[in-house]
Amino acid sequence: MSFLAQADRALIDWGWIDRNSSPITDRLIEHLYLTVLAVVIGLVISVGLSMVALRYRRAYGPITAVTNIMFTIPSLALFALLVPFTGLTVLTAEIALVSYTLLIIIRNIVAGIDGVSPAVLEAADGMGYTRRRRFWKIEIPLAMPVIVAGLRIATVTTVGLVTVSAIIGLGGLGFYILRGLQTFFWTSVLVGTAGSVVIAVAFDVGFVFLERSLTPWLQRSRP
Amino acid sequence: MSEFVSRVGEFLGAGSTWQGSGSIPVRLWEHLWISTLSVLIAAVVILPPAVFIAHRRKGALLASSIVNIGRAVPSFGILAIAVLWFLGVVGLGPWLAFPALIALAAPPMFTNTVAAFETVPPGVVEAARGMGMTERRIITGVELPLALPVIMEGIRIAYVQVIATATLAALVAGPGLGRFIVDGFAKRRGEGELFTGAVLVALLAVSIEMAFSAFEKMVTPMGIRRAGNER
Amino acid sequence: MRNRKRVVGAALMALALVAAACGSGDGSADVPEGPTITVASFNFNESTIMAELYAQVLEANGYPVARKLNLGNREVVKPALESGEIGLVPEYVGTLLNFLEGTPSADSESTWQAAKAEFEKTGVTLLAYAPAQDKNAYVVTAATAASLGVSSVSDLQAAASTLVFGGPPECPEREACLKGLQEVYGLDFSEFKPLDSAGPLTVAALESGDIDVALLFSTQGIIEAKGFVVLDDDKGLNPAENLVPAIRVEIVDAYGSDLVDLLDALSAKLTTEELTALNRRADVDQDDPADIARDWLTANGFLSS
Repeated sequence: MSFLAQADRALIDWGWIDRNSSPITDRLIEHLYLTVLAVVIGLVISVGLSMVALRYRRAYGPITAVTNIMFTIPSLALFALLVPFTGLTVLTAEIALVSYTLLIIIRNIVAGIDGVSPAVLEAADGMGYTRRRRFWKIEIPLAMPVIVAGLRIATVTTVGLVTVSAIIGLGGLGFYILRGLQTFFWTSVLVGTAGSVVIAVAFDVGFVFLERSLTPWLQRSRP
Repeated sequence: MSEFVSRVGEFLGAGSTWQGSGSIPVRLWEHLWISTLSVLIAAVVILPPAVFIAHRRKGALLASSIVNIGRAVPSFGILAIAVLWFLGVVGLGPWLAFPALIALAAPPMFTNTVAAFETVPPGVVEAARGMGMTERRIITGVELPLALPVIMEGIRIAYVQVIATATLAALVAGPGLGRFIVDGFAKRRGEGELFTGAVLVALLAVSIEMAFSAFEKMVTPMGIRRAGNER
Repeated sequence: MRNRKRVVGAALMALALVAAACGSGDGSADVPEGPTITVASFNFNESTIMAELYAQVLEANGYPVARKLNLGNREVVKPALESGEIGLVPEYVGTLLNFLEGTPSADSESTWQAAKAEFEKTGVTLLAYAPAQDKNAYVVTAATAASLGVSSVSDLQAAASTLVFGGPPECPEREACLKGLQEVYGLDFSEFKPLDSAGPLTVAALESGDIDVALLFSTQGIIEAKGFVVLDDDKGLNPAENLVPAIRVEIVDAYGSDLVDLLDALSAKLTTEELTALNRRADVDQDDPADIARDWLTANGFLSS
């Protein structure tokens, strides 16, 4: 199967996993931490930028353009470029990871708000809502499904990108992918990959539930 | 900062940067064909089943769950598995990166195809059926033309992501623009190489995105485009 | 209210008992107080094994240790060491001195002195070096050696322009790698392929013929296992390459001679043969560096089994 002699070794060395359960858990926590931090910060920045874009429509173009360009810079490069400035630190990883969430979340916030039916807005105005109240009480809740969908994609994407930060000494479970690659050790690669998948799927499922709980009116209308 | 700039200048000024096996034109070409071929293979493999499932409008939930899981698998992990598995078979080279890139391109293409068919008004499909069209004719003559813009968008999204991720191939001695990034990072005076590689990938991605958008416009039938604009 | 106080008191007592029990784990009365020692390694097996040796022996003696293994090459690790992000790295006196823009020689002592003096300018010092040396090895397959009739690096001169050289990406910049091979031996290879740091990619490339000459490390058991031939470094390109702990000055200041003596004792027991055996377990047997380190430390009396 693999190039260097691993014929005498099982694909998954459970003993190794057992012996390394502590560092593996540490890396798992690191992975979760890097992901959650990036998405939360990304959300905060995105909300800010979205509100600017919604207020001043002309700003939307440039904002999208810049975040789009950030998205096209490969994560490998962004991590590497930041190292001389911010070191082999969580900060370096987070600057890159947050940048990648921006395009997705901003786009979804704006699309979500834009997608609110004009009839509803008119009705709200008719009922005497102020713009501000209308925004927070009507537009945001109605835009929630789309916004949460964006968060969902951003989070799952981030979980994958975190693995690449292994090249600067972090990586969460990506550390085991890199290590396994450098020593041709299947178990390490599988632990790293499967672990990342589990984290991503867990987040994904969590977001599905979140979507449902935030839009109870959609649930009720289902037969 | 000034040192950084001078290193970039150093790199751009070197002869080997522009000529020879490790030069910008060569790496650019490698990167382009690896990305394009991956997207093509993914399209050939994913689009027909996607269209079929989207047309039936059944099993879409299951299929999209599978696709979501696909999105959850890190490209880096697939790359590592591919290397451990196939290195003995295909040797060092670009092929090791293909599984990861194809797996990356598939989900957006699939998701967009299914979503695209959902936007086709059911009334139109019913009318076509009422007119006696075969299912096949409905797909090719009615649904696909209407769904085409969104499907193309899915391919475009996939293409750009693949271009950015193809850089990972360099981690396993692969070719492409990622080479500048990995090697530049490893070298002492490599900032110029690293920066150039990053910029080139971004430029390539943006160019492909623009070119593809233009292509999308060309390919979309006039009537649909007009209808889309009116919406 | 009174019950609550009793519960709190009992809890505190229990906590104190637990703390006392934990503290006297290995019998040493005083646990050293000071900064966490972040042990790091380069991106190849031997370095990780060495880092584990340092880390585990320090932990066994109560020092607070963190690990940042498999960080990258010296280009990445040295800045981190100088900035304080990491505190302790296993180094090689010769290539280190080259990296610090010095001129190493085949003499361990003078090379070590020069490297130490240079490194201390940026707040990092070197402790005592081990007898063990790991030098860069320029390797070909047995078949290549036979067909080209080469046994030393100089022999490559005739055929060099038709040969492909493979090594880590930083190789063209390193004196003990491509740069030195060009300058000292006058070897101009037809192509350089950036692979990994003497890892499985390089071995695979050599075996499959993707490259003709590979950079590996002299202590790697994989060379023998694969029947590769190490070309003789007849012009002495490689300097002394003794293993030595590179450690931040402030850590030494914080912990004093106890720490230094401990690591010195470890280094003293590490010979090239021992190191090669450790490497073989990692490269050929595919054992885990932490396990390999633990076994060696136990066998040599640094850890109680």
